[in-house]
Amino acid sequence: MSKSGHSRFSLTRIAALTGNTFTELVRLKVFYFLLIFALLLIGSSIFMAQLSFQQEFQVLKDVSLGAMSIFTSLLAIVATAQLIPHDVEERTIYTILAKPVPRYEYLAGKLGGVLLLLALSVVAMTALFLIALFVRQEMLVGVTLRQTSGLRPEQVQEAVRTLKASAFNVNLFPGIVVIYLKAALLASLTLFVSTFATSNIFTICVMVFIYFIGHLQAMAREYWLQQNSAGWIAKTFLALVALVFPDLQLFNLVDDIVAGTAIPGPLFAQTAVLGCVYISVYFFFAWVVFHGKEL
Amino acid sequence: MIKPAVAVRGLTKVFPIPFRRTRVVAVRGLNLEVAPGQVYGLLGPNGSGKSTTLKIILGLVSPSSGSTEIFGRDSREVGSREAVGFLPENPYFYKYLTGAETLRFYGKLCGLSGVRLKSRTGELLELVGLQNARDRRLGGYSKGMLQRIGLAQALIQEPKLVVLDEPTAGVDPAGSRDIRDLILDLKRRGITVLLSSHLLAQVQEICDRVGILANGVLVREGRVEDLLAIENQTELILQNATPEVLNDIAALLKKSSARLIEQRQPQTTLERLFLEATKAPAER
Repeated sequence: MSKSGHSRFSLTRIAALTGNTFTELVRLKVFYFLLIFALLLIGSSIFMAQLSFQQEFQVLKDVSLGAMSIFTSLLAIVATAQLIPHDVEERTIYTILAKPVPRYEYLAGKLGGVLLLLALSVVAMTALFLIALFVRQEMLVGVTLRQTSGLRPEQVQEAVRTLKASAFNVNLFPGIVVIYLKAALLASLTLFVSTFATSNIFTICVMVFIYFIGHLQAMAREYWLQQNSAGWIAKTFLALVALVFPDLQLFNLVDDIVAGTAIPGPLFAQTAVLGCVYISVYFFFAWVVFHGKEL
Repeated sequence: MIKPAVAVRGLTKVFPIPFRRTRVVAVRGLNLEVAPGQVYGLLGPNGSGKSTTLKIILGLVSPSSGSTEIFGRDSREVGSREAVGFLPENPYFYKYLTGAETLRFYGKLCGLSGVRLKSRTGELLELVGLQNARDRRLGGYSKGMLQRIGLAQALIQEPKLVVLDEPTAGVDPAGSRDIRDLILDLKRRGITVLLSSHLLAQVQEICDRVGILANGVLVREGRVEDLLAIENQTELILQNATPEVLNDIAALLKKSSARLIEQRQPQTTLERLFLEATKAPAER
């Protein structure tokens, strides 16, 4: 507390800003993308009618988790990019910062609102995905029971167990958490870019560029560093790129999950910590720029 | 010694223009003080530095040199804004919030909660005459209603100083009169008001003191009566004066060195005429 009784940090103020940002984003009808996600699931189920059940579950997981990753990343960028420019354009930022609200609380509230929206979106998409997986599994169990009606009960049970094992796998959840962390990282980075960007279109363009570099840089790095001819200039350049742009490939664990491979605990923990560090560092950069910004 | 509500000392603000190697001086060596309980008007043409000065006082823009204080505290300190309410020019609030939700949001930012926040929200909606629109979204509010909800949010934490940037800009005469009455009510309650305006007649009516800015420089400053008084002239306003009385006065003047410059019937203002003409029949 300062000498006047004004608290330098207030969770109540941040919660008020978070709640307001969340309402703002919900009213922008960003949830429409959930409809596209549901349609994708239905579409992929129709396509899968000609596949074996292992292939079918693999495609369903591949499509669902891939779509979840792309949709949450897009949502994180688009939703965050317009928050500060919109407040500046409409002058609502003056009424907020003219109250005893430190600028880092304003930023934390904005980011908090986006993270809440992303969390709810991921929960909704996970629920849709699990429902689709369960419905398909039950349909296939029915088919299997009909096909194996002449076999011994142990053989029938074994066939059903194998089928269920290919459908649901507990490893899906760490994978979904990593998808959320990647989207949260992109939201934090977008917030940073929007503190100095002149418009939200500029922010979105920069972020799409960063998104692709973030995914491709690991591949490029591997390729260049394997070349014996890679000199110090190439190495320095790659090190700089790695420092400035997040390595988004590290958050791409979908392939492992789809293949049914368990994500090792240490790898999950390492990815989670890395995600949190990226989020904190970009938030700090956003504050450094926004702290001295003339409104 | 009583600390001034607002103290501006040697304030200069320079905005560099990128890529042109040039700069704009928005405010130059400004000094002014606003005493507690006073209504102070900052006047000046567009681009004279009024809004920049207000933003610096509120800590939204940092000064190039000089300092600003609110009740003795550096206005760059976030805590100094506990005592301040601000209404920007042409404010747009979150359109998806209702009037009551807007006040609750700003109240939470000022640390209000529970029963106090609820009662304060009700009081302010009544004060600005928006009780009937409390549950309507701001997207459906008129310009005047937005201005009034803006004033209500500025007052949510019972500030000692209220800063209003063009509070009546774009508002019709009736709405403008309501805002003027609210400002006079604040003055009666001992709240200091610092406002910028283009409406000179209104400023003259409500302000105790004014400062006139031109090109970022304070060119005139003082009490309204002192600035407007023509020292060697006297105004007499008579009621029910017969022609004989007027003749007697004229005769008396002839005997002295005084000169009658103008004799006319006082006129009402266009604002009063407009308000009278547009008033609902029941109100007349």
